[in-house]
Amino acid sequence: MEFSYEVKDSYAEVKADGRLNMVSAPKLREFVTDVIAGGSNRIVVNLENTAFMDSSGLGALIGCLKAARQAGGDLRIAAVQPQVKMVLQLTSMDKVLTAYGTAEEAFRND
Amino acid sequence: MTEVLASRSFRGPAAEDAIESVHNNLDSLWLDVPFVQDMDQMTFTTAVIESASNIVQHAEPAGPDQVELGVDITVQPTLLQARVSAYHAKPPFGPMEPATPGEDAESGRGLALIQALVTTVTFERQDGTNTWVLSRTSQA
Repeated sequence: MEFSYEVKDSYAEVKADGRLNMVSAPKLREFVTDVIAGGSNRIVVNLENTAFMDSSGLGALIGCLKAARQAGGDLRIAAVQPQVKMVLQLTSMDKVLTAYGTAEEAFRND
Repeated sequence: MTEVLASRSFRGPAAEDAIESVHNNLDSLWLDVPFVQDMDQMTFTTAVIESASNIVQHAEPAGPDQVELGVDITVQPTLLQARVSAYHAKPPFGPMEPATPGEDAESGRGLALIQALVTTVTFERQDGTNTWVLSRTSQA
């Protein structure tokens, strides 16, 4: 899995390309923690190229959400693909991690 | 006699690398059986990776030999089946019932997710090997 980020006007966009599994989940957590430490507390995780996520990956997203909120911000997800959507729905976490169509939409109304 | 249309097997040390190998095996398996619907491929792949990850993360060796992961997958006309095994492992510790973690919990969702993804999950222990048998009835 490859991670990258870009600071936009009102948020930082993190891209996670590949499989978000038990191998990459700790790396996502570390990556997002560093982005938050760098001064961005409004995070959009763009999952456009995340073809797969398991419960470890979901746990990492929840950890990142908590870290962003502890820093006074929030974390939102965007461009969710079918397998990731399925895991979010089956675990009822789609209510906690709201999915937006695109990264631009995620913080548009705040 | 049951007709096996395609199969893949993996056996190796229960380590992180094994998860990527099993996932690559699944991706190549689906290329052999394109008639298996996307939803069945997606759910079954997720259940197998969850189970294999559970072994890599939690299985403890019963003796001097390190735990090995084994994953044997078969595709039959209307059945997807995986035998996901932990060799040289202690019996699983604690309840094997799915947990219901709070919404801010960062772990504990794996077993419930597996049960939601497949038709049946059974557990066998024989000769120091723990095996989870995942079966999903697929769309014809």
